[in-house]
Amino acid sequence: MKKWTPYLLVAPYILHFMVFVLFPVVFSVVLTFHSWNIIAPMKYVGLANYTHVFQDRLFWQAVWNTLRFLIVHIPLQIIVALGLAELLNRTVKGASFFRAAFFLPVIVSGVVVTILWQQLLSFNSGILNRMLTALALPRVAWLDDLAIAMYSIAVMATWKNVGLYIILFLVGLQSVPTQYYEAADLEGASNWQKFRYITLPMINPTMFTVVVLSTIGGFSLFVEPYIMTQGGPMNTTLSAVMYIYRQAFQYYHMGYSATLGFCFALIILMVVVLQRRYVEQEV
Amino acid sequence: MRSIRKLRQVVRLGLGALLLAGCTQRMDTDRSLTFWCSNNAGEIAFANEFVQRWQQQRPDKPLRYQPIPEGQSSEEIILASVVGKTTPDIYANMWQGSVEMYAKAGVLVPLDTLKGFREFITARCDSAVIGEITSSDGHIYQVPWKVNPIMLLFNTRLANALNGQKPPYTYAGYLDAGKQIQRDNNGDGYVDQWLGYTEVKAIWYERLFNFYPLYLAASNGAPLIKRDANGRMRAAFDNPSAVGVFRFLQTLYRDNYFARERLSATRDPFMAQRIASQFTGPWTIGFVEKFKDPGFEYGTYTMPVPDTHQGPIYTYGDPKNIVIFNTCRDPQAAWEFVRTLVDKAGDLRLMELTAQFPRRKAIDSDPFFKVFLAQNPRLVPFARQTRYIKGVDNSEVIVEVFDIISQEYEACVIFNKKTPEAAIHDAAEAVNVLLMSE
Repeated sequence: MKKWTPYLLVAPYILHFMVFVLFPVVFSVVLTFHSWNIIAPMKYVGLANYTHVFQDRLFWQAVWNTLRFLIVHIPLQIIVALGLAELLNRTVKGASFFRAAFFLPVIVSGVVVTILWQQLLSFNSGILNRMLTALALPRVAWLDDLAIAMYSIAVMATWKNVGLYIILFLVGLQSVPTQYYEAADLEGASNWQKFRYITLPMINPTMFTVVVLSTIGGFSLFVEPYIMTQGGPMNTTLSAVMYIYRQAFQYYHMGYSATLGFCFALIILMVVVLQRRYVEQEV
Repeated sequence: MRSIRKLRQVVRLGLGALLLAGCTQRMDTDRSLTFWCSNNAGEIAFANEFVQRWQQQRPDKPLRYQPIPEGQSSEEIILASVVGKTTPDIYANMWQGSVEMYAKAGVLVPLDTLKGFREFITARCDSAVIGEITSSDGHIYQVPWKVNPIMLLFNTRLANALNGQKPPYTYAGYLDAGKQIQRDNNGDGYVDQWLGYTEVKAIWYERLFNFYPLYLAASNGAPLIKRDANGRMRAAFDNPSAVGVFRFLQTLYRDNYFARERLSATRDPFMAQRIASQFTGPWTIGFVEKFKDPGFEYGTYTMPVPDTHQGPIYTYGDPKNIVIFNTCRDPQAAWEFVRTLVDKAGDLRLMELTAQFPRRKAIDSDPFFKVFLAQNPRLVPFARQTRYIKGVDNSEVIVEVFDIISQEYEACVIFNKKTPEAAIHDAAEAVNVLLMSE
């Protein structure tokens, strides 16, 4: 083997990394100090884009909307996924069918699922409202009510992704040694006590993974509000990523959009660090 | 060692193929001018016909046409081609609001520098249109080509059954019609027959088909932005006309005369008679004529206006124009071709093939177009309306201006969270901040 053969072998990856990761990141940093609409030459604006971020109320509203989504989405996702994983962990008939069924939405295109839910939640013709009408209950404007539109999206997103987290929790649950439960049985512990004092602490690493994954996934919320509500009503479902996209590809404010991207990445980093500290303390 | 030699050979071959492809493309563009047309059947037929004719008459200036490549929107494709420097020489179907951005970026040919352009355009269009298409640097970068005036289509059977005012409507008459038409047909406590429907989504371009034509109608075609005494661009819509339009629309939604839910996913609600009227352009006529139920009758009228309105009733004309990109090696020849598309014969052919209207003076009374209009009486109201249409203000940030208005529209008109006065004032303030930062 020649001395340079290893370099040749890793060259494709290095090249890919430089062209598709390193260069875009460096270029984005450069962009944050410029005003650029793609077609005209770049104009150096110093820190103007960064100062503008602090005055941009819509960006902060979009960040708050995203946090609101996460506050509902993450606990809901954990409760549903853990509950279903607990059920599927037992030797029940058709468990493998249910595992596949719960996982199915994960592999279906997000756009298709979103359009399907849009029809389900339609005010006049949606199945959900038809059921409410049949029960003589008032209809709900699931996607057009200022107070609940984001939560409707959070429920939909939970349904879409829960299958993945069920699998993760299943792996975690199956790795808990059975002798702990046997000892607890001998001590006369209730099911809840076994869950609280054995299962939960033992699956803490899985829990941390799920929390981090769903936090990052939740922060990148885009497809659901983009298709279902276009950020409305009154920007209550406008997510931060959607706003960054809008600045870049609707107004062609490439420099400002890159700046928003960096600021938002910083916010995500802070949240994940806080989560890590909290979960580590818990362990 | 042998494998390295092979690798070198592959790389050489690859580079050779790339070079060859580049040369082929270069030779191809050296040969002919390229014309991108819209990708609907009528306009493709139009482009085909005129390119064939040009090739017979001017074999020294070869020209080929191509429908604009498929994409989410033609604006997106044009932007991508500008960035990639793969623009055609000529592009028809450019939204007027996009031109200023491209002009400022220096990617368009100033057409007024070409021989014969000024004379031609002053003969074809009136001074108001020329003023509207003139860029802030004083040059003209676009040929005003075709328009689709937004008007009110009304179900005649439903209109005849009403007491009181018949279309065309003032605000009071239209609201009264709404009161009479709005109905809960299946008795479930929810309205399922409305006076009208217009897209509620807070996307900027939706305002071109509801707020903006109503504003133009109410204000005799006033601009949204204009230059103040100090030469700075400022919002010009903080006025009673805009406030009146917001109040009118707010009432339509608040009193359930217009549907707030999205009806676009269902069968066309106008033809299904779930709504009695709609704000739309002439493109709807062909569709309605083709799919309407027997006995379905409708009329075309001007947009509703304030009760005290006097004078002509303007509307948005949805103008699409022709531009020449500066990648064109022979702009004069390109203009000579464009000229054949927009002379009287070209304009008539556009109407015949696409049922769209040329942006020229007095189409409705010009004898040249008389036979066509006599054969297509459904289009006559639109032809008359072409006398009173406006495009959008020539501004690089016009999309953002419409977006700001759209945000306030949603808060005020759809959700009733603001008074029309506050919403319009806030929108104007935001537009002023935006214009100051430009």
